[in-house]
Amino acid sequence: MVNITILYSIIIAILTLLVCFIIGMFLPGVEKKYVHARIQQRIGPPVTSVGIMAPIKFAFKENLDPRSPAPGLYKALPFISFLCILLVLLFITPQMYSVELLSSIIAIVGLLKVEEIAYVFMGALSKSVMSLSMKFPDLVKGASHTDTIRSHIEDISSKRSLRMISYGSFPLYLALFVPVVCSGSLYIGDIIKYQQVHGPFIFTTQGILAAFVFFIGYVILLNESPFNIIEAESDVIQGPYMEYMAKYRSVIYLTKGLLMFTLSALFTIFFLGISLNIFSWNILVFIIVSLLFTLFMGIFSAFTPVFTNRQFLPVVLLTTLIGVLAIVIGILI
Amino acid sequence: MIEEKIPNPNGELIETEISMGTVHPAALEPYRVRFFVEDEIIQEAEITIGVNHRGVERIMEGLPVEKANALTEKICGICSNSHTWNSVLTAEKGLNIDIPERANYIRVIMGELERLHSHLLYLAHGCEVLGHETFSMRIFYIRETVMDLLHMIGGNRVQYGVSIIGGVRPRCELNEMRIQKVESGLDELEKNIVNFSERFTSDPIVNSRIEGVGYLPPKQARKLAVTGPSLRACGFNYDLRTEMPQYDDFDFNIISLDTCDVKANLLMRVLESFESIKIIRQAIKNLPKGPIADRNWEMFDCDFIKSYIEVPRGICYHSFALEDGRVRGSVIRTPSMANIAAMQYAAIGNHITDGQLCIVQCDPCFTCTDRAFEIIEL
Repeated sequence: MVNITILYSIIIAILTLLVCFIIGMFLPGVEKKYVHARIQQRIGPPVTSVGIMAPIKFAFKENLDPRSPAPGLYKALPFISFLCILLVLLFITPQMYSVELLSSIIAIVGLLKVEEIAYVFMGALSKSVMSLSMKFPDLVKGASHTDTIRSHIEDISSKRSLRMISYGSFPLYLALFVPVVCSGSLYIGDIIKYQQVHGPFIFTTQGILAAFVFFIGYVILLNESPFNIIEAESDVIQGPYMEYMAKYRSVIYLTKGLLMFTLSALFTIFFLGISLNIFSWNILVFIIVSLLFTLFMGIFSAFTPVFTNRQFLPVVLLTTLIGVLAIVIGILI
Repeated sequence: MIEEKIPNPNGELIETEISMGTVHPAALEPYRVRFFVEDEIIQEAEITIGVNHRGVERIMEGLPVEKANALTEKICGICSNSHTWNSVLTAEKGLNIDIPERANYIRVIMGELERLHSHLLYLAHGCEVLGHETFSMRIFYIRETVMDLLHMIGGNRVQYGVSIIGGVRPRCELNEMRIQKVESGLDELEKNIVNFSERFTSDPIVNSRIEGVGYLPPKQARKLAVTGPSLRACGFNYDLRTEMPQYDDFDFNIISLDTCDVKANLLMRVLESFESIKIIRQAIKNLPKGPIADRNWEMFDCDFIKSYIEVPRGICYHSFALEDGRVRGSVIRTPSMANIAAMQYAAIGNHITDGQLCIVQCDPCFTCTDRAFEIIEL
């Protein structure tokens, strides 16, 4: 009997991952087609183009070996990122609540951090032809500085990713800790139970503040405009992803869609107190929240230019302060 | 305020070099820029051009002057009309040809429409480099009106081939229907540009990205012979159109701003667009009657002739001699030539994300510029 229950749990967890994955694949397309394109008064790509057709297309393309000092690790990084997000999604399913060690905020934050660290390595291990490697005889044409450290543009994005780990993604984690402080537990199961008794956090003062902070953190973690400094087209082009092609690029696109859904699912769980169950109407709430996040993010990114450090730091500082305020209110009330 | 930006001396204090190009999405055309940075702040920049050289002057050598004029249109995809106009003016100057008034007015109309399309393209590209896709798309949408008008008059969206020796092509005659379309097009364009400029200038985030960025001191702008709107954005009230006889009949203001940064350059194009609309309206209102081309001219040999005109990016120079009706010793100098060199200095002291923006602020056209010339300090 116990074995059958475990088997059912595994099947349901896998089904949940599959459903969430499919929903997540549509989200980048929704953003491009129904938000950006509508705002910019153009038709836009088909809704399946970005999240579904592009990964399929790239999966069947020929791969070229990148100019990387550690090609094995470099190629593994997109898969590691994808796996991290998949594990976060797995750990927030109700079937995992009994394994408290994994279904806790510590595990989630840890996995999201691994995903962030992957960008640092991707940037550091990429040596594309877009900058230094391109054959150009500038060194022999009387260049004024010939003794400098010559750096690839991905190195800049790698350094920026490192900064993002230290302060860029801070708002998201701060916002996640507000429900933890209020409920007094690190475990997702307890946070949901607390909200079922006391009502969703989103309807409290600290919840509203934390939700705002979470949204900013959501956009930062997704590297979306205006916080896409690690892949700003005006200097680092695609940053860490520059040299990924074929199936590796396909995995990157899939990871983006999955991350969009996973983060909005985290919000639904932590701020609305609803568990991720695909066999109840609750799944509709998850879909609506993910669409709302996509919509707001699309509007936000469509109306702002890329932030440089001059704009980025004040925004992060302000949202961090709001996050701290939310935690303080949570402790006091 | 810094009066002059001086790059670091050789090998000192420069930490890292970041090379961008020759292929980079922020650049419309291939070129190479080396940024020498310290903690992502540009200490010095080096721009290298040369990958677009097509040797148009060399191809022009020995061609019949009419064919050579047509070839100059291929120098640039944005200011194609300006090059043909200047090349034709050079020939007309050498052959002492007076063109009909109506032809001159049509040339001015096309020149100003081209200025509008160039300035709007610049704004769109500037917004794209800023990372503001929505503004960029909006500008391209506004620009379509100008492109339609150019298409209607010249028969093409990019290379319209208006000017011929002695006047303009018969295809470019402006009849009543075309005049009405131009008038309604200008009304729509003006309304759209006003709306956009209000939205653009009131956006605090956009302003924070462009204010004080890419500062080029006026002294340095003058020293490096910066020309056109980029010079006027540095506070200099100089526009060659005021000295061109072709513009004698038109009343317009010279726009100049004194903040010398990216914002000044962007606003300069917006404000100049209104002046261009004003000139076109005057030209349409006072369009003289009569022929649009004078075919009664004779070919004879003449020594080197020089012609300068104000094109959308600044002063354009064409020069050649005529021998048996064929072009000899053609020299073309485009405004981007001087402007690009100056942008190396404008980039100093800015964040590397703004590096391309600092270069783009002068509206560089690298294909125009690759003419095997070298800029030296005056």
